[in-house]
Amino acid sequence: MAPRPCAVIGVGQTKYKRRRDDVTLDGLVREAALRALEDAGATFDDIDAIVIGKAPDALEGVMMPLLSLCDALGAIGKPIHRVHTAGSVGASTAISAVNLVESGMYDTVLTIAYEKQSEGNATWALSGGKSGGQGAGGTFAPWIRNYIARSQAPEHIGWMVAVKDRLNALKNPYAHLHLPDISVEKVRESPMLWDPLHFLESCPSSDGAAAVVLGNDDIAKKSGRPPAWVISHAKRTEFGQFPGRDTVRPQAGVECSEALYRKAGITNPREQIDCAELYVPFSWYEPMWLEGHLIAEEGEGWKMTDAGDTELGGSFPVNMSGGVLSSNPIGASGMIRCLEAANQVRGTAGEYQVPGAKISIGHAYGGAAQYYAMWMVSSELNPVF
Amino acid sequence: MPQLHDVDYTLEYPYTRTTGPIIGPFLTGLRDGRILGQRCGDRVLCPPMEFDPDTFATLESDLVEVGPGGEVVNWTWVAEPSAKHPFDRPFGFAFIKLDGADTALVHAVDTGGDPEAMSTGMRVRAQFRDERHGSVADVYFVPEADAADQVIEPGEEPVTITEHLIGLRINEPLYPHRARFAQGLLDGKIIGQRSPVTGKVYVPGRGYDNMSRVLMSESDEVEVSDVGTVVAFTELNPVQYYGQTETEPYVRCSILFDGTDQPVIGIDIRDMTVDEMRVGMRMRCIWRDPEERSVEDIDNRYGNIPETVYARFEPTGEPDIPADELKEHSW
Repeated sequence: MAPRPCAVIGVGQTKYKRRRDDVTLDGLVREAALRALEDAGATFDDIDAIVIGKAPDALEGVMMPLLSLCDALGAIGKPIHRVHTAGSVGASTAISAVNLVESGMYDTVLTIAYEKQSEGNATWALSGGKSGGQGAGGTFAPWIRNYIARSQAPEHIGWMVAVKDRLNALKNPYAHLHLPDISVEKVRESPMLWDPLHFLESCPSSDGAAAVVLGNDDIAKKSGRPPAWVISHAKRTEFGQFPGRDTVRPQAGVECSEALYRKAGITNPREQIDCAELYVPFSWYEPMWLEGHLIAEEGEGWKMTDAGDTELGGSFPVNMSGGVLSSNPIGASGMIRCLEAANQVRGTAGEYQVPGAKISIGHAYGGAAQYYAMWMVSSELNPVF
Repeated sequence: MPQLHDVDYTLEYPYTRTTGPIIGPFLTGLRDGRILGQRCGDRVLCPPMEFDPDTFATLESDLVEVGPGGEVVNWTWVAEPSAKHPFDRPFGFAFIKLDGADTALVHAVDTGGDPEAMSTGMRVRAQFRDERHGSVADVYFVPEADAADQVIEPGEEPVTITEHLIGLRINEPLYPHRARFAQGLLDGKIIGQRSPVTGKVYVPGRGYDNMSRVLMSESDEVEVSDVGTVVAFTELNPVQYYGQTETEPYVRCSILFDGTDQPVIGIDIRDMTVDEMRVGMRMRCIWRDPEERSVEDIDNRYGNIPETVYARFEPTGEPDIPADELKEHSW
């Protein structure tokens, strides 16, 4: 039986900030949920099931947060699910919610992802609470060095991505970082954290939540809001370490994008996709994922960045919203990518809208670059390529 | 099998909580000697809630004083209190419906250690502790007849953020394969595990080959060379977090030891700069003197070749291995 068509019919975000000291964690998550319901023209009564996601519990020290979030999310008397795939969780959560609609089990599903990073410390948590932890940046930096060596990319590519995403963020009122005077010089001269990554090439630590209301085709047609049809999605996993692992171009990432494109009927992603929200927490991951997800040939991704192709006005805009480099409530960051891809094809991306965008992708990766989750959204239910 | 240390450490962090528009005033009230409930329709909720539990509507802050007396509607007895319990003698945990509230608060009742003094329907009264921090532990309950009158000095700033040291003690034996690996390091040897299926050598071994999904045991263990090739590195500028003791930048690298198929990650280099490191560079382990070696930092999840067993890694001077040949060993 063919899956039931599924569309994004409402989205909601909080303003991303270093610390949201005016609300509880529950209140923060609810804020995004209510905005998504409002956008969908729905209330909690219309929701059949809830799917939530966040990164490791150790980030805030709240074990099984879904217990208390039931009240905030109107989940009493309804099924609630919790998804966990480290940093990719926001996208995995959104896709898990899509599965519930596609299966025909539920008509309307609310999905929310969040992090309140200010309540704990991510580097502490990722270090198992021990001294000498390298955090995410220290884990990825050696692979980035190997990418640079392999691709012969010039060092300014990372700085360009850092500037481009922050300039895009100026157009996004929800973005955490608004750095109007950002420049390549400022990035280059900011402190070196994990060689070759400078401070300004790294994501911030944010509080925030993102929510999406998904409906089946009947619900989407009735809602009166522009839908973003989820025409394809894929998740893939690999071991964090194994003999033969290529950390620069992980096999699971390649296979995840192959599956995503195949299901949608995409044969030339660079030409057939209008724009992408990729999970780029450290600047160099833009060219690495352009290659690792088959948008560019191996060794050619950095040339797209260098040529300005990934800028908002370029031929393949990436992270129009400012990306993870501008807002990083970790657990939510993947869902924000999916949500912003939907904004583009719904025509609701405001000042960072790519004119006429019809096909977009949202992407996230997690763990030691070992979990992948991607979705493709379209303004049409059955686009022809 | 060598008998090494048990793993025993506490994973803990001083987490903070933002208290928001309803829980914040509730905690401020406790610090100031008052218990507040939240109006919700024609009911008063204590403990207060941010959202109507029936309709899910957002509740605007509308707090009213309740108690200090109340009635026990259900209870249990804690015969053996732990260090984190509110009393060091046996006590009751009870659902207490405070006077003026329509819902019950779970809290501790001190009867002087006597379970016979507890009963459903009994009257209790709040007592405030001398030191109060805007926490639910600022208050406790006693049988009404035992209650003392108190004069409480209110604090100044409202409670908006609270801090909680939340921890988890981990106490377990070192797994046998980890113990043998650690003992090898004490002996100046690097022990790997050779897959009986593929022949590939993992170091440190995990006790299983994750690719072929077979267990590996002591009979699959081999001593590998302490000379290898750098396959990846960076220079860490230590992020300062709770428990971090590193302050100065240092190099962290991964080394593929000769005869192995998976690099050892997390090897720290203190006497070379990032500019002196190269992928493909050949390095040799210079061990500490045997009596100076320690493997205390190795547990079941963290720790590969710690600095407590080696003095440094030294370039061998051999020609570099071409990076192309290391593509599949890039961690």
